Amino acid sequence: MTFINRRALGLLAAGSIAALMASTAMAQEKRVIAVSIPAATHGWTGGVVYHAEQAEKEIEAAFPNIDVIVKTSPSATAQVSALEDLAAAQTLDALVILPFTSEELTGPVEQVKANGTFIAVVDRGLTDPSIQDLYVAGDNIAVGANTAKWMAEQLGNEGKVVVLRGIPTVIDDERIQGFTDVMKDTNIEILDIQYANWNQDEAFTLMQDYLAKYPQIDAVWANDDDMLLGVLEAVKQSGRSEIKYALGGNGMKDVVKMVMDENPMTPISTPYPPSMIKTAIYMVAGQFTGQAPMRGSFKLDAPLITPENADQFYFPDSPF
Amino acid sequence: MTMAQTLPIPGSAAALPTAAAPALRTVALGKAYGPITVLSEVGLDVRAGEIHAIIGENGAGKSTLMKLLSGHVQPSAGHLEMAGHRVGFADAAAAEAAGVVLVHQEILLAGDLSVAQNLFLGRELTRRWVVDDREMNRRSARILSAIGAHCHPSDRVGSLPLAQRQLVQIARALLEQRKVVIFDEPTAVLANDEVAALLAVVRGLREQGVAVLYISHRLDEVEALADRITVLRDGRMIGTWPAAGLSQRDMAELMVGRKLDMLYPPKRPAPSAVPVLQVSNLVVDHGAVEGSFAVHPGEVLGIGGMIGSGRTELFEGLLGLRPAQGRYILNGKEVAHRSVSAWQTAGLVYLTEDRKGKGLLLDEPLAPNLTLQAMDIVHGRLTLDRRKESTALEQAVATYDIRVRSVHLDAGQLSGGNQQKLLLAKVMMTDPSVVIIDEPTRGIDIGNKSQIYDFINQLVRAGKACIVISSELPELVGLSDRVLVMRAGRIVAELSGDQVTEQNVVYAATSGSAQAGRKTA
Amino acid sequence: MTTSVLTEAAAAPRRFRWADMGPFLALAIVILAGVMLNSSFLSGTNIANVVTRSAFIAIIAVGATFVISSGGLDLSVGSMMAFVTGIMILTMNRLEPSMGANAILVGAGVGLVVGALCGLLNGLIVTVGKIEPFIATLGTMGIFRALITWMSDGGSIPIDRALREPYRPVYFGNVLGIPFPVILTLIVVLIGAFILYRTKYGRRCMAAGSNAEVARFSGVSVARVRTTAFVIQGICVAVAAICYIPRLGAATPTTGQLWELQVITAVVIGGTALRGGKARVWGTVAGALILEVIANLMVLSNMVSEYLVAAVQGVIIILAMLAHRFIK
Repeated sequence: MTFINRRALGLLAAGSIAALMASTAMAQEKRVIAVSIPAATHGWTGGVVYHAEQAEKEIEAAFPNIDVIVKTSPSATAQVSALEDLAAAQTLDALVILPFTSEELTGPVEQVKANGTFIAVVDRGLTDPSIQDLYVAGDNIAVGANTAKWMAEQLGNEGKVVVLRGIPTVIDDERIQGFTDVMKDTNIEILDIQYANWNQDEAFTLMQDYLAKYPQIDAVWANDDDMLLGVLEAVKQSGRSEIKYALGGNGMKDVVKMVMDENPMTPISTPYPPSMIKTAIYMVAGQFTGQAPMRGSFKLDAPLITPENADQFYFPDSPF
Repeated sequence: MTMAQTLPIPGSAAALPTAAAPALRTVALGKAYGPITVLSEVGLDVRAGEIHAIIGENGAGKSTLMKLLSGHVQPSAGHLEMAGHRVGFADAAAAEAAGVVLVHQEILLAGDLSVAQNLFLGRELTRRWVVDDREMNRRSARILSAIGAHCHPSDRVGSLPLAQRQLVQIARALLEQRKVVIFDEPTAVLANDEVAALLAVVRGLREQGVAVLYISHRLDEVEALADRITVLRDGRMIGTWPAAGLSQRDMAELMVGRKLDMLYPPKRPAPSAVPVLQVSNLVVDHGAVEGSFAVHPGEVLGIGGMIGSGRTELFEGLLGLRPAQGRYILNGKEVAHRSVSAWQTAGLVYLTEDRKGKGLLLDEPLAPNLTLQAMDIVHGRLTLDRRKESTALEQAVATYDIRVRSVHLDAGQLSGGNQQKLLLAKVMMTDPSVVIIDEPTRGIDIGNKSQIYDFINQLVRAGKACIVISSELPELVGLSDRVLVMRAGRIVAELSGDQVTEQNVVYAATSGSAQAGRKTA
Repeated sequence: MTTSVLTEAAAAPRRFRWADMGPFLALAIVILAGVMLNSSFLSGTNIANVVTRSAFIAIIAVGATFVISSGGLDLSVGSMMAFVTGIMILTMNRLEPSMGANAILVGAGVGLVVGALCGLLNGLIVTVGKIEPFIATLGTMGIFRALITWMSDGGSIPIDRALREPYRPVYFGNVLGIPFPVILTLIVVLIGAFILYRTKYGRRCMAAGSNAEVARFSGVSVARVRTTAFVIQGICVAVAAICYIPRLGAATPTTGQLWELQVITAVVIGGTALRGGKARVWGTVAGALILEVIANLMVLSNMVSEYLVAAVQGVIIILAMLAHRFIK
């Protein structure tokens, strides 16, 4: 549990509301924790799947009376079907879910809860927050804001930056909002913000175009580390030397490694770690085994990953 | 030319004071596309209760005239009158609303829909917003039986034989009461018994007082059917005559504007006794069609029978275009591996009946069409030799008298007759010793017909063998030295010498178990 | 009398058709618009970037020109590209310790074979299995995409660091100032044009797409022609993969995503008929360039909101097709 930062743990304690009922009597019974997450279609979800499967192995090894079932789905509709199948096949003691979309999954999750299942929601909250017993999420606004603060400080509140954004979603909007809100109070000019769909290739292309369009760029922010890799390649090809920083976000292992190696262009990153799914699964397992109350909302902060703390965020075996 | 002068004065009937206003009349009707005039000064009148035939060579302007009358094309000169009133049709729908309908020559039906769905396509009957299939099926059955079609309203059109599809198309035109019905080559794909049924339908329309315009290349039909005949030539109306005064020969000469030589070439001396091709126990489509036959150098072997009797299937099977097995000896050698290209290498080619669907690439220019089957001939060391190819095309154009404005036209822009000649040129590229021609003159005009007959004659005179499959009895009898007649997928008769007559062919094709001629495959 | 007229006609030069020039005119107009909208558009770097980038789509689209003109369709090219890329990187990484930089050559060879086999698979499903190309390749599209996702665990498959530098010039290098991918594209297009317009196979391809029955009745094995077209497509995908890997040095589950649509769009803008029978290889290249130039202009000009970029691209593509029709 080292990857939960202190503030989150504090929240965890402060947010506990009620003790789990009759937990001692049921201690010997088999507990089923279902985990429903998106399929690994790109880097970040790949990380989610990896961490969920790690959690499954570790928890089942440590607590023989807990059965963790991980189910991945390629789309929101498939996830709804998966929920129905999971609930129909066995009695679920707890459901840990990273919903594709809030709107579409709220109803189906409510159905599962009606059978007395403990509901833990990760990353994207449900439309009706009263359904979720436990909510673990990263802070997308903080991802953008913290990066912007660091960048503004390093540039001395002066300069020109370009931004690459992902796919039009709430996550993307929040990160961009966090970033631009901070930059408004500085003399830094945001030259351009365009979509590159969280895709390396498109980020490479877009960065090439930015370089052609703007003769002077002081820093680049790609709101996801996958895109950052494309950006770095384009910058390298152009041979342009005025670009001081190219930053990403998400905590991709290649980028965390660059931070560890004290890369001058990418000295920091901001986590939005896929490992939050593991956090949530452990918390749910904890209340079944240790009778530790685990209710409430837990927002993981987005502290800067620096060369000093990078090893906490580095999972060399994870695909992300 | 002299012929015309001995005939009654053209158009005199129109001046009769007692005649009621014609059902449809054209006044100085003309059509030009840009600077090119395709039809001019046509003054045609069609009366209620008559069958009025329009004849002329391909390109004479028949199709344009029909399209003008039925609203598919707008005139650039003159106008139309119906029952003495001037009318104009903005489109085909307007013409149909006024009671004028054209039965197209090409089959324009949706193959995946049922017969009834096709008949009512675009004018579906509904009951409370829901299509009323029962009523449409009922009415379809009625009209189908009235015109002697053998199909059922729920049959899928795509699964019907060509002839039945043609009848469905006619049924569609006759679904509502009409004042003027225009038939464009309605019998081109029909076999003899079906033609008879269709002619009865046309006569029935006449009894009902409908004005019928009838276009056909089959002059025997025109002679049997028409009350009056109008001849078009080179975009002009030559005149209108009562049918009683014209023989088929008269008609043909009016069409071409000159005396015709004998249409069919004289029969040749007896062919050689040793067969060039011997086919034994050919079984096609798992037994639906079977046959054994031989053909000799210098011989035209005719294949008769009704459409659907398995003639085309037998030869498509021989070529390996359908599942088939059998034993074949060509030029004294056994042909083991059968495919179109293997047969071609061995010296046998097949010219399909379906010129547009299976014969030519209509969207491609002439040269690729010509050489598609024999690219090796125009191949250099590494690539296709464009120069050789255009030389080959020039030769083919000259040899087969293919008339084109430019050799860069697409094949689809040629007239039917020129397409047929191009197709001939294409299969003849490799100089085969046996040529199988399926329906050599379907839908082409009389001038081109006689050229193709001449060509077949030259071929066999040069010692080649030619197999001609034909639904046109005069053609079959006029060309063939020997005729095999098929019925229900089997060869039921062999006629030679004096036995080769239309009566004998018809008898063999239809006698025996009367309706056994209709094959299911 | 007719013969003299006809030989004259036969000797007449082929008429110039504006319709054939459509894609090149469209490209010229788009470039002109670019020059007027932004001065940096014409800069050497920008032009080089745009042309180099379009190489992948152009190379794959040359293969698609074969498939489409022979009457097929291949939706799997984007996924196949990712799959082939993954296989190549894994092969190269495995061989690097023993072979050093030569692993790149062997890996590229393996890629070409795998690409050809993937194409063969598509071709056989379509011709022997007699399944509509749309559905068959939709199926293999899912298969290839899942395979690369599985191979990468949803993350990425990076190429060995030791191979990055020796391999880099294949995308970033140039010969006499011409970027290497552009040269590769030219070679592929020349070979493609040669096969399509000069050889028997090209003729048969066109015949099979124009009317399969006519081809069959003319002794052309339509199944063989179409299968071969799919194999050519697979090889083109592999060639694109060879010059794709050094760009970012990794294969991910999003590699080549939706490229199939760009490829088909390039082919159709280029004047090849989607129903088959007409192949325009050079037009295809113009089509690929048009797509890439439009995307470039969207970023360079400040006229379009980032939210509306896709809409403007769609409108331009439809306008290009309409212009094409009206020129006819």
